Amino acid sequence: MSKLKQTQDYEKTASFKFFRWISGEKDPYIGTIEMQEQSEHQVEDDTITERMWEKQMIIDEIYDVDHNRILTKFHKLYKIAAVLFCVALTFFLLLTVSYLPRTGNAANPDNNEVAQRYIESGLQETGAVNIVSGMILTYRAFDTFGETNVLFIATVCVMILLMVDEKTLEERSEARLNSGRIKDDIILQMTAKFLVPFILIFGIYVILNGQNSPGGGFSGGAILGAGLILYANAFGIKPTQRFFNEKVYRIAKVSALCMYGCIGLYYYTMGANHLADHIPNGIPGHILSGGIILPIDICVGLEVACTMYAFYALFKRGGL
Amino acid sequence: MSIIEHIRLLTGGVFLLGGLVLFALELYGIYHMKYVLNRMHAAAIGDTLGISFCLIGLMIFSGWNWTTLKMALVVLFLWWSSPVSSHLISRLEVETNPELSKHLKKGTLEEITESKEEQS
Repeated sequence: MSKLKQTQDYEKTASFKFFRWISGEKDPYIGTIEMQEQSEHQVEDDTITERMWEKQMIIDEIYDVDHNRILTKFHKLYKIAAVLFCVALTFFLLLTVSYLPRTGNAANPDNNEVAQRYIESGLQETGAVNIVSGMILTYRAFDTFGETNVLFIATVCVMILLMVDEKTLEERSEARLNSGRIKDDIILQMTAKFLVPFILIFGIYVILNGQNSPGGGFSGGAILGAGLILYANAFGIKPTQRFFNEKVYRIAKVSALCMYGCIGLYYYTMGANHLADHIPNGIPGHILSGGIILPIDICVGLEVACTMYAFYALFKRGGL
Repeated sequence: MSIIEHIRLLTGGVFLLGGLVLFALELYGIYHMKYVLNRMHAAAIGDTLGISFCLIGLMIFSGWNWTTLKMALVVLFLWWSSPVSSHLISRLEVETNPELSKHLKKGTLEEITESKEEQS
């Protein structure tokens, strides 16, 4: 005979709470995390006057500016010394510059075997015509992973500071609609209608063609984000939320970062243990070439586009 | 062949210099005028005509290739977007500045509308 648990007992268990959270019925953080609007810091008039009085008192009574000869001398000397110090600093900095080697000299320390290796065997090893893309996304993929993490953490911090819960958002948007600010400009809307598809397609082109031409994840993502911002500016936040809301944002951002991490991990394990990696480099110049560069470019592009749009939306209305 | 090259260099240089002159006019206008709407009018000269003259000169230098097409697209998109942005700035200024009528030389807004009504 199996024992059946009481419903009240079951509701106390962790698994019930977990599954309720998974199914989206209740978010355990609502009500426990502070999500309030920041109020402007205000200084009272009394403290300002008190501070001004104290400043004047120090000038008049402690230093006695009008009758203090040493102090006036010091002030004159101070100006001369400041000018002399700046001149001396400029002189020493220029002196240091004159010791630097000439640009483009073959014997310079920056002309070493690292740059030579990138230029000579970069195309063969990474399959990317664009050496810069091949460099930052394969040889230095770990560094770029750190940069992508910086973008992620930056948006998280801005969210912590500026995100407002839905109720306040609705109230605020109603208040903003009633105030007589510019909205629904027909000229801007028509322009955005024509331009946004071109901007988005160009952004996708720059991301996908990152290994063959100048561009890549960062610049393509910036173009995508700019297109999204233009659309949101022209038509308001409601039509934008039909295809880019908080859910899409969350999925795109986290999955792009995890995907990048997985690709990088795979590549490092293979490379460190001298194993053959199974991502073909392809024919240089084709869209599907460059090994891990294309997927990493897509991840970075998504991340940058989400970051740009999230910054805009958070600063504008406090929510995505 | 060399005559054509010379003509190309000359026309391209004239266009480029014309663009630079327009930019100089724009800069003078921006620092000469004091009010937003006047300054915007000066800035629009460089944004539309100056940049397009410069790019047409560069297109003539570059000849028939993909770079020329890309520069033509740059001109197209600039002509498309820069008037819209100046329109938005001017609209913001007109709608949010409470002391707008001070900047109108021919009198306040009310006086102008009144005189128009009298005429009609």
